[in-house]
Amino acid sequence: MVDYQYIYDYYSNTPHLIKWVWWVSALLAISIIVLAVYLKFIRLSLRKKSNETAKFKSEYEALLVEYLYSGDESGKLTDSQKLIINRIKDSIKTPSKRKIIVSVLYNLMNEVSGEMSDSIKTFYYETGLIYYAFERLKSKKWNIIGKGISELRRFGIDEASHVIAPFINHPKSEVRSETHLYMVNLFLFEGLSFLDNLKAPLSEWIQIQLLETLQRFDNQEICDIRPWLKSENNSVVLFALKLAQIYNQFEVKETLMDLLAHENKEIRIETIDVLAHLYGIEAKEMLKTNFNDLSLEEQISFFKLLEKLVVPDDEPFVEAYLFHKNFEIQLLALKILKEINFDKYIGFTKSSNNNKSLAMVKAVKML
Amino acid sequence: MNKKKIVLAEDNSTLSLLLKFRLEKEGYELFVATDGKEALELIESQSPDLILSDIMMPFVSGLEVISHLRNKLNLSTPIIVFSSAGQEEMVLKAFNLGANDFMGKPFSPNELVIRIKRLIGT
Amino acid sequence: MDTSSVKIILQILHYLFFGYAFAAIISYIILSFISSKETIEYIKKRSFVNYKDILSSKMSPSITIIAPAYNESLNIVENVRSLLSNHYVNYNVVIVNDGSKDDSLERLIKAYDLEKVHYIVNEKITTKPLREGIFKSKNPAFEKLMVVDKENGGKADALNMGLNISTSKYVACIDVDCLLLEDALQKMIKPFLEVTDSKVIAAGGVIRIANSCEIRGGKLIDVNLPKNLLVQSQILEYLRAFLLGRMAWSRLNGLLVISGAFGIFDKEIAIAVGGYDTNTVGEDMEIIVRMRRYMEEKGEKYKVSYIPDPLCWTEAPDTYKVFISQRNRWTRGTIETLRKHRKIGFNPKYGWFGLVSYPYWLIFERLAPIFEAIGLVYFMILIVLQEVRWDFAISFFLLAYLFSVVFSIVALYSEELTFHQYKKKGTGFKLVLLSAIEPFLLHPFVLYAAIRGNYDYYFNKKKKWGNMVRKGLVNN
Repeated sequence: MVDYQYIYDYYSNTPHLIKWVWWVSALLAISIIVLAVYLKFIRLSLRKKSNETAKFKSEYEALLVEYLYSGDESGKLTDSQKLIINRIKDSIKTPSKRKIIVSVLYNLMNEVSGEMSDSIKTFYYETGLIYYAFERLKSKKWNIIGKGISELRRFGIDEASHVIAPFINHPKSEVRSETHLYMVNLFLFEGLSFLDNLKAPLSEWIQIQLLETLQRFDNQEICDIRPWLKSENNSVVLFALKLAQIYNQFEVKETLMDLLAHENKEIRIETIDVLAHLYGIEAKEMLKTNFNDLSLEEQISFFKLLEKLVVPDDEPFVEAYLFHKNFEIQLLALKILKEINFDKYIGFTKSSNNNKSLAMVKAVKML
Repeated sequence: MNKKKIVLAEDNSTLSLLLKFRLEKEGYELFVATDGKEALELIESQSPDLILSDIMMPFVSGLEVISHLRNKLNLSTPIIVFSSAGQEEMVLKAFNLGANDFMGKPFSPNELVIRIKRLIGT
Repeated sequence: MDTSSVKIILQILHYLFFGYAFAAIISYIILSFISSKETIEYIKKRSFVNYKDILSSKMSPSITIIAPAYNESLNIVENVRSLLSNHYVNYNVVIVNDGSKDDSLERLIKAYDLEKVHYIVNEKITTKPLREGIFKSKNPAFEKLMVVDKENGGKADALNMGLNISTSKYVACIDVDCLLLEDALQKMIKPFLEVTDSKVIAAGGVIRIANSCEIRGGKLIDVNLPKNLLVQSQILEYLRAFLLGRMAWSRLNGLLVISGAFGIFDKEIAIAVGGYDTNTVGEDMEIIVRMRRYMEEKGEKYKVSYIPDPLCWTEAPDTYKVFISQRNRWTRGTIETLRKHRKIGFNPKYGWFGLVSYPYWLIFERLAPIFEAIGLVYFMILIVLQEVRWDFAISFFLLAYLFSVVFSIVALYSEELTFHQYKKKGTGFKLVLLSAIEPFLLHPFVLYAAIRGNYDYYFNKKKKWGNMVRKGLVNN
């Protein structure tokens, strides 16, 4: 009892600040205990969840495989297949199980071709999973919408396109990207028409993915890319330039020429590369005459092109840049000269009086 | 007659199960590994007649499996590798290391059965 | 001096210490909240990524991994193999052998079938000259590899040599003894390709501690919690620093440091600012501050990104001696960088960078150990003068202690709900227990090392790099 009395006396005589400190400390101590216990709980439930996921996964895998092998020639569902579908229909009411089933389906869809992947798609329709994906598109949360689009793309559901199209200019870049991927995966070049109305920039990340997707399909008829080359959206222009190069768009020459005067430097440099790729000599002659109007990066770009397309007639031009103050231009000029007129080049190794340049000339000789 | 043994190394468990089902129906005995490390253990303990291996797997890749088999164990067991889009370079490397055939994903299990039969019979 | 003025001074000191501690605590709370927000956003976004396309695309931008090596012959062959096995199409690896006195070069030549090649180095940044020259492999399987043998010039100088040699758009600067996960480059390059409204100049990764983890053939097979308490404490410290601190600062675009063990830079800008500073022991922090300063002065929008996935695993010191020398070096690096770029601090011309990030680092990172040391001395004087109100002292100490434990546990939550690397049964309990004792295991030594760092910086200028004794990541 004495102790309590002592504590009470101490407490009532303590300044407010210290009282406050004791209280906060007590609060922190309690929260540490609560947090520690809850952490234990979280770890347990995480472990339980991953075990359960594994269990359900193998259960659904077995069901799916059974479903796939119990089909017959007719293409209609057999009785045993209907039975399996009904079992799955029950399970997908639980969101966590639905997620597992979708991932199992998708994992296999990607790996098998022909009838089997069609059969998986039928399964996706018949079980009603497709309905849930459509529901997701109505969500208010951007990540749910994105997931929905991604799922519809993966299962190749082309009838969703009119519902998905409005997301082309969605404020969240993830949703936009998923929309663009959906369009291109399902409708290939036709799907690219979203570029006509694209306001937001197209990141390099998504550009690469779109191009990869397009390249997965052979023998595609590419559409007219000119409108995109003239787009107000610079990232669309850059993307169209890549298309021009990959799909050898010879007919867009005029538009490309116009782009050499584009206000954006990156576009001008890319255009030089594309022109060089498509037209070679012709583009070279044109750029050579304008060489001095080009920025340094463009000049370097031009020299790289020259290295590939050089002819003996270019010698006087190249000679003028042998001692250019830019390392890359000088290096390229020396390499080119060595290529087209070795004797003259050897002459330089003796005559040059600038030490640094001489070292460079000699070094190029060793290459 | 003894069943012919096949080791299947594939990290996609659904595909493994699908192929196991199918190949067992064709009369083969299947040993399934989920990564390259397990595959090597199975190869050494079971000495299979054929190996099916994905190129990209966790821990030990399909390429390393082939190289281990051909160079360390000096076995000439036929190998079919599975590859995905964009792994063309790896397929070339796989052939250089001694793979016998390859199947690009997505593939049809029926076609795989035909190729297996061509390599080792039933 | 009469007693009343002494009392006033004491009062003022009390309030100063109190105010400082209070501000620090508030800042930690704010940072925790920001980081939780950023983490949730990051996890949501991450679920959308399909890395497969980038990894196999030839259109992906080129990256050069630059790994300086000094007397690393023990593990260099193995470590290079791990660097060569990253899942990315368009990359190469430049090992810069910085005048090693051991047989690193010979081992590399033998293991990778190297031969000397002619290569013209564009010396955009002045470095120490080449020694044996530049080597490439005769075996096409190792075509990504280039080994540069140069005269010794320190880590910064070696990295600069790599910057000169690289022909890629981006460079990844890493410690050669780090273990990079296979998807590290893909994940780290993403922020650069994703932005459309500003320019990413650099991206930093998380450093995780690899002691006691199972590593085979350059790959991380299993994550374990080490037995050594010093290493355990550092694991907790890293979780706090990376999952709470840096995550929050990355949302504020206020990161001042990218760990020297693993970071990717836009090469053009790294070269435009003159590369790494060879006169500091904190070159990893200094280059970020300088790149930021450059962008601010040019008036361009930019960002320093941060990727919280566990991609880079490295060995942490497991003895107090090595630990103290490492932290001593870090302290000196911070002092040097902040002093060199003094102009930025509290300068509205540098915007947020000058008004928030720099001052925060100065006050709560750079000066924290000094305040603490003064506080301790002051406390001891009070003891001698028998002026201590013990209930005050104990209650405040308890408060600070409990707060630090809560902060650690919050970091553990963040780890469990995101990357969940320590999955084994019983580890959770150990980590909580560790949160309770870590303040006594690590903090006194951190403080000591920081004070030594300050002392060495001001009074012992000849102090060089502390050498870290490596046991090697290759365990069997």
